[in-house]
Formats: sequence, C-alpha cells, structure tokens
Amino acid sequence: MKTWTIALKNLKRHKWKTAFLIFSLAVGVATVLAVYNIMQTMQLELGDYLDEFGANIVITPRAEGVELNYGDTHMGQVIFEMENLTVTDLERIDDIEERRSINIISPKIIADVDVVGQKALLVSMDTRLEFSMKPWLSLHQETGIIAGETGKDLALLELPPNGVLLGFSAARALGKSAGELLQLNGKAFQVAGVLAETGGEEDGLIFADLGAAQALLGRPGEFSMVEISAYCNFCPIEEIVAQLQEVLPGSQVTALRQSALLRKETMDRYAAFGYILSGIVLLVTGLGIFNTMLSFVRERTREIGILRAIGFRRSHLLQIIFLEALFVSIPGGAAGYTAGILISRLAGPFLAQMQLQVPWRLELALPAMLLAVVLALVSSSVAALKAAALEPAEALRFY
Amino acid sequence: MPQMSHSLINVENVTKKYQSAEEEVWALRGVSLDVCRGEFLAIMGHSGSGKSTLLSVLGGLIPPSSGVVIIDDLDIYALSAERRADFRREYLGFVFQQFQLIPYLTALENVMLPLVTINWSSRHKREKAGEALQRVGLGRKINRLPHQLSVGEQERVAIARAIVNDPPLILADEPTGSLDTLTGNDIIDLFQKLNADGLTILMVTHNRDNMHHVSRAVFIQDGRVETQEPKAFAAACGLQKSGTGK
Ligand SMILES: Nc1ncnc2c1ncn2[C@@H]1O[C@H](COP(=O)(O)OP(=O)(O)OP(=O)(O)O)[C@@H](O)[C@H]1O
Ligand SMILES: [Mg+2]
Repeated sequence: MKTWTIALKNLKRHKWKTAFLIFSLAVGVATVLAVYNIMQTMQLELGDYLDEFGANIVITPRAEGVELNYGDTHMGQVIFEMENLTVTDLERIDDIEERRSINIISPKIIADVDVVGQKALLVSMDTRLEFSMKPWLSLHQETGIIAGETGKDLALLELPPNGVLLGFSAARALGKSAGELLQLNGKAFQVAGVLAETGGEEDGLIFADLGAAQALLGRPGEFSMVEISAYCNFCPIEEIVAQLQEVLPGSQVTALRQSALLRKETMDRYAAFGYILSGIVLLVTGLGIFNTMLSFVRERTREIGILRAIGFRRSHLLQIIFLEALFVSIPGGAAGYTAGILISRLAGPFLAQMQLQVPWRLELALPAMLLAVVLALVSSSVAALKAAALEPAEALRFY
Repeated sequence: MPQMSHSLINVENVTKKYQSAEEEVWALRGVSLDVCRGEFLAIMGHSGSGKSTLLSVLGGLIPPSSGVVIIDDLDIYALSAERRADFRREYLGFVFQQFQLIPYLTALENVMLPLVTINWSSRHKREKAGEALQRVGLGRKINRLPHQLSVGEQERVAIARAIVNDPPLILADEPTGSLDTLTGNDIIDLFQKLNADGLTILMVTHNRDNMHHVSRAVFIQDGRVETQEPKAFAAACGLQKSGTGK
C-alpha cells in the first residue's frame, strides 16, 4: 500500500464525484482544444488564401454608391451602368514607376447577358492570362475529350472567339455540357468546357474571350475592370496602389489583400471571443473541481486526523490530494482531447463558415493532457493545503 | 545506556488551555509525570478530567500551553511539525478512543496504514501487517471491512495498527470503554502480553477493575495528577523495571 493506493481508493469510493471531476476536466480541455484547433485551422486557411491571391489589385471605374466586389464575394448586385476603363488606361498602368512589381495585367468585361430568357453573368478576358493567374481552377468537361482522358491544362486551353467556358453551377443551371451550343444575347456560342466545382464565385459565371465579348456587348476597346497580379510577397503594395490611383483618378484601385486583412480582423475577433469563452469555461470547471476536492477533504477530516496521528507528514497529505487530482486528470484529459477534436471537426466548418477540414492533430494530445493535469492540480491546491493544515487532534474530535 | 535518564517519558509541569470564543478551559493545570521503560500505566479519572488531553500531549498531537514533554530524551515539541509526524510514526502506536479505523479499508489495509509512508515493498508491508494481526489474535478475517467485524475485533485491528511499526510506546485511550467485560478483559490480557514483550503502554481507562492488571495507575482530577497507585512510586526506573517483570 502506498499513498497513491489511498488516493485511488478514495476515488473509487466516490464514483459520482469522480465521474464529475473527470467530466469537468474533459469539458474544460475540450473547449480550449476545440477553440484552439478551429482558430489554428482558420489561420492556416487564411494564410493559404493570402498566398493564393498573392497581392492582387483590382481597378474598377469609380461609381457613385457602387461597390464592385470581385475576387472576394458575390457579384449579384453589381451595377454596370458606369464609366468604362479603356485601352488608354491600360497604357497608363504600364507607365507607372512600380511596373516592375507587376506580373500580369488582365483587363475584363463583366456584364449581364441574356441566355434564352435567363440572366447570367458573363466575364470575359484573356482567358489564358486569367487562368494562369488562378491556377486552382481546372476543367471538369471539355469538348473533344472522351471521358476518362485527362483534360488539357486550363491555362493552355485555346478558347475560340465563339467559345465559352461555363462555371460548374452555371452549366447545371443552364443544362449545358461541353460541345453544346448556347445563345448569349441571341448570338450562338459553343460550350468549350465546364470548370470543375470550386465552391467559389467562379461556379456561377460564364467565361468568354475578351474580344468576342466586347463585340457581343458593343463595347469595343472598353473594360469594366482590370485585375493586376503582383506575385511577390514583399511588393510595396501600398505604393503600387497609390501610383495606380494617381494615374487613374477616375477609378477605384483596391488591393485584394485588404479584403483578406479584413477577414483576418473578423477572425481575430472570433479568436478573442473563443479565448474568452475558453477562459470562462476553464474558470467554471476549475471552480467545480475546487468544490468537489474541498468536499473530499471536509468529508475526510477525521480520516486525515488519523493519518496525521499515525505519522503521515503534511506533505504526505498534499501528495494524496494531488494524486487524486492527477488520477482524474488522465481520463479527463484523454476524453477532453477526443471530444475537443471531434467538436472542432464537426462544428469548425459551421462556426468558421469556411470549407475547412479540421485535422485530428495528434500532437495536441500531450498539451491537452498537460492542461488537464495543470487545471486539476491548480483547482485542488486549496483542498490539498487545507488537508495538510488540519490539526490531527482537532480532526480526531470530528465525529 | 549511560548518561540517559531511565524513564522513557518525562513530563514536566505541562499545562493545556483550550481557548474558544466564549471561554477558556484549562484541561491540564501542571502535570508532571515520569514513565519508565516497560511500564504498563493506567491513567484514570472522571470524564472531563483531562485524560485524553494528556495522552494527546504525550503523543505529540497537541502542543502544551506550557511545560516540556521529553520522550526518549527527545523534546518532542522542539521538533518541527513534520519531524514530529516522523516521531509519531517511529515511536508511537495510537489506539484511539473510538478505534478510528478507516471504514473503506479492510482490516489488513487499516493495519498497513502506518507503513504507507515507509519505503518498503508492498509484500513486506503486507507481511508485517499480517504478523501484527496474528499477534492480536485476528489471523483470519483480515480482508473484512471494519463494519463486518465485531467491536472487539475492531479494537484488535486498532491495536494491530498501533504495534505494526514496532514502536516502543503505545498510547491507548479507553480501549475497553465500548466493550463488554469479557471482551474488555481479553483486550487487557492482550495489552499485558504486549507489555511482557517489552512495550511500554499508557492506557486511559475509566474501569477501576483494570487497575489490578497494570503496573501503576495515575489518577487525574481537574487537570492535575491527584494520586497514584502504588502510592510510593518514585521514578527510579532502573529499579522499577526489574520489578515489573520485564
Ligand atoms: N478542543 C477542545 N476545545 C475546548 N475544550 C476542550 C477541547 N477538548 C477538550 N476540552 C475540554 O477539556 C477538558 C478535558 O477534556 P478531555 O477530553 O481531555 O477529558 P477526558 O478526561 O478525556 O474525558 P472523557 O473521559 O470523557 O473522555 C474537558 O472539560 C473538555 O470539555
Ligand atoms: Mg477522553
């Protein structure tokens, strides 16, 4: 028989209280772990997002009260009756001082088109340029490719003037697949391919060649936006934006990184909330443990008196109480780890409103156990000190 | 043992005041007492006279308000609390007024308790506890919980726990108080046997019949040693020791 035997026997004797202790620890650890895991995954996701978009800049004609949001969110309510960008504007862009930081300049026209009675959003640009800027897009279907064969790289696809590419959901909504014909504003186009589903805005769009679209819309030499890609992490983005703004006073120059930063801000607020929540949960579970351990000691006043009288030191009593805490923290930590990861996997995508795959993160098992141990020990310290401070003679009179 | 006093316990002018909010109680009002090695001493007196308090002071459980307690040449209240706990483990076996067994531990485990903090193998501890239970005549039933034992058997478990660590001194508070006469006599017999094996025993008791089985009885009244039996006892322990039949 050792001190731990006494600790274990006491726990065994109080099954409900022991179960409560384990449960409390599990809740505490699970909350902290779930919050931490979701936050971390969101952070990684955001990092990817920033990487993917590099330091893109969007130039749009300035319009009263209109926010043109491209590249980040939906385009449902864009109003296009406004000033256009022109070829002269492109030349001006070419002339700015920081031109060397700019990789790609991709002018586009974005417009509503009529597809046999339905409205759809047509985006047109130099498709090869565009798709090399957005390497995450790929083809789902393609004309002339038999099912099972690997399709061409999207960036290498030669889109004929009368060809269009359909976003995944646009294709479904219109009921068109590769090779079929499509009427845009009464003019026939052939579906050259369907993009794979991205879950993003691309899914709902129709892509066409810039020249063909300008002709179709009757806006030759005009653009509704210019997207600029500066693929370098340390480009002086603010500088580029300022210079662009200077040469294009009638336009609005927006760095997409700003929207990513905005997203980061939102995430930081989430994180703050999450950590406060974790703190509160830890406090509450800590109090529960504190109370239960204290009740263990109170209930055993006499027993502690006996032990002290027959030669247990104060430190032995501390040991017994802390061992009890340690023993419940092991299953508590393990359950908390499992529950925490499960919660973050199930609730993470919903809470973060992101398509994230929250991983199992085995490397968090040890910190989770440590958290349980520390939480249990800290919450038990008052009880342990109380047990150690009991005067044996006083405790023996306790009946 | 040259240079050493022959008495095992040397109590000088010990007082103990219990202080509560409303009143103060002088439980001990200047007790001086010498106990020789190998003695079987009865401490007698009316309820509330201070017997338990004296025993607790002797056992290092209650610091006296004044006075000195020396056991085996050790001023026990000069020790730190932790060292005093070690002293209790090594020198003393307690038999408490209510046995004070731990209800969820078996007889054997209760007896093993004083050995818990000693660095022995579990097997050795179990053997020692088993031996102690044999000595008190409880070889079987060692795996029963206290409530599955008779009161007399519980008493034996408590005594086994007191002797398991081979202490030179046993302090027993009313060991026969809750037993019928027959069982009480058995317990006294047991103490006599242990005393014959060399253990010094201090026993608090109400029962005047027990007086005839001990080597000396000390009467306490109002926190003072009133008288003792035999009356002419002087703490010349070397002489006394041969007289008590060790
Ligand atoms: N913790 C305490 N606080 C206050 N007074 C106490 C305390 N313990 C004992 N006393 C008082 O001290 C006196 C002596 O008590 P003690 O328990 O030593 O008596 P006793 O001789 O053992 O009595 P009994 O034969 O009934 O066990 C009593 O008056 C008692 O009320
Ligand atoms: Mg008493």
